[in-house]
Amino acid sequence: MAISKKASLTWAQKDDYTSAQIKPRTLVELPTTPSIRIRASRKWSGINLREIWSHRELLYFMVWRDLKVRYKQTLLGVSWVIIQPVLMTLIFAVFLGRLTHIPSDGVPYILFLYSGLLPWTYFSNSVSTSSHSLIASAQMITKVYFPRSIVPLAAIMVRLCDFLVAAAILVGLMIYYGQPVGLSILLAPFLILHLTLLILALSLCFAALNIKYRDVGTVLPVLLQLWMFASPIIYPVSLVDPKWRLAYSLNPLAGIVGGFRAALLGSELDVRSLLISAVITLTLLVYATFVFRRMEDQFADVV
Amino acid sequence: MRSIVSVRNLSKCYSVGQLRNNNPTLREALMRVPRSLLDRRPSSTLWALQDVSFEVKPGEVVGIIGRNGAGKSTLLKILAQIVKPTSGEVDIYGRVGSLLQVGTGFHPDLTGRENVFLNGALLGMKAAEIRSKFDEIVAFSEVGRFLETPVKYYSSGMYLRLAFAIAAHLEPEVLLLDEVLAVGDESFQRKCLEKIKSVSRDGRTILFVSHNLRALERHCSRVLFIRSGVLHEGFDAQSTIAEYLSEVSENVAPQASLPQLEPNAPEDRRTPDFI
Repeated sequence: MAISKKASLTWAQKDDYTSAQIKPRTLVELPTTPSIRIRASRKWSGINLREIWSHRELLYFMVWRDLKVRYKQTLLGVSWVIIQPVLMTLIFAVFLGRLTHIPSDGVPYILFLYSGLLPWTYFSNSVSTSSHSLIASAQMITKVYFPRSIVPLAAIMVRLCDFLVAAAILVGLMIYYGQPVGLSILLAPFLILHLTLLILALSLCFAALNIKYRDVGTVLPVLLQLWMFASPIIYPVSLVDPKWRLAYSLNPLAGIVGGFRAALLGSELDVRSLLISAVITLTLLVYATFVFRRMEDQFADVV
Repeated sequence: MRSIVSVRNLSKCYSVGQLRNNNPTLREALMRVPRSLLDRRPSSTLWALQDVSFEVKPGEVVGIIGRNGAGKSTLLKILAQIVKPTSGEVDIYGRVGSLLQVGTGFHPDLTGRENVFLNGALLGMKAAEIRSKFDEIVAFSEVGRFLETPVKYYSSGMYLRLAFAIAAHLEPEVLLLDEVLAVGDESFQRKCLEKIKSVSRDGRTILFVSHNLRALERHCSRVLFIRSGVLHEGFDAQSTIAEYLSEVSENVAPQASLPQLEPNAPEDRRTPDFI
């Protein structure tokens, strides 16, 4: 305290016109090693998890902002999160369940559909919003420094909240149809984590590529549409010819959605496709973090 | 005394092709491949900064001047870690806070109170830190009455005051400011300068870009003059400013001060506004 008073006194005395001659005084203890080193970008380097962790409050505020803003000027508010999967379930139930009688592994088709559309909605919504998230926050990226991966990460977290809200309907449906619940339900949290990691891998890739090539954003809806029909969302895996099962499970969503139904509806768990999915997901995630890191340095120049 | 900011041989190069078309579509990118194979000449480049070196001691207030497009903002962006240099090194011994634009990340639909927290977090403050300084920030900004109003209904002056108030309470060891004083009325500008002075009195270091030469002369212990990406520093603040003034008033051909485009440069001699 005494030091700072003295410093401000010396400053005040000479303040008028000769400030250029004042020798600045230091009150801040300088660390011996630089806390920030800025170098030209290297081609390959891993993602800095510690830095992301130190910005976790920013992540929280970004999620909080998006949730808050979303419901500020809507009439139906939070119910929109539920309306989307419910409407899709009804549409598919009418067109597929009534007209074509797709088998549903012995559970009511509505319950079967919703348990597939719930993770699907989470997947497709978060991949598409987070792929646009970096472009949407271009203004921030060019003016403030923070780990860029926070932006797609926040977009995913927002969708995860939506997913958890919409999951309440699933619980309601299960009670309504008297669906027995076994110990397998304990698998559900791990499957949600698995799905989130897959989403993260795709989002990091697409978000980074989208900055340089806007085509990604245009192609993505088509890709997602195709992906939905290549996954066991509206039909059961048992509909796929056994000799194609192995190829089919190369789609990492197949194992996850199948696992989801096994956990909740007690259908048989396909361990092989779940393991294949886990391997593919982790490989994609490692690849995506490298792609993201490599392009991250150019974001502010290119966006 | 040791330096708090040490900049050594810093250069930043933009390729003009990149400037002209920031976002090639996939088709364009693919079509460039055969063209670049045929055309081996280097594409024209623009050096926004060239071999810039300087040291800043703790507690200094350093002004940065130069004509539009000279590289001032690029320098601040590199120091703020937003943009990576092409070559060269920077070491900074402490936390850096940057205010390159007032109100970055403000969300129009959120209230003033909500934006204080969001913007504070974006600038690198911890939530607890924002909470403890909240009343001070609001008092400084003079928008206390409208704290629960979405900022889209704010006048631009209120918006600006709130944004500057948050940044002013950031308290990093090194503060980077880009032309943020150009806005706001006379009394608020004075208040901002007062705040800058009190920040530097605490031993914090400030680098700021401004065209307000009078403020620079009064408040800076040093002035860096960037001329077409090359650093020039005079004997003291006054003489550097005088040199800059004489150069500007000489009214040389407008292109003379723009960064030199190297051969193979097409007719495009405009300087992008983000440099």
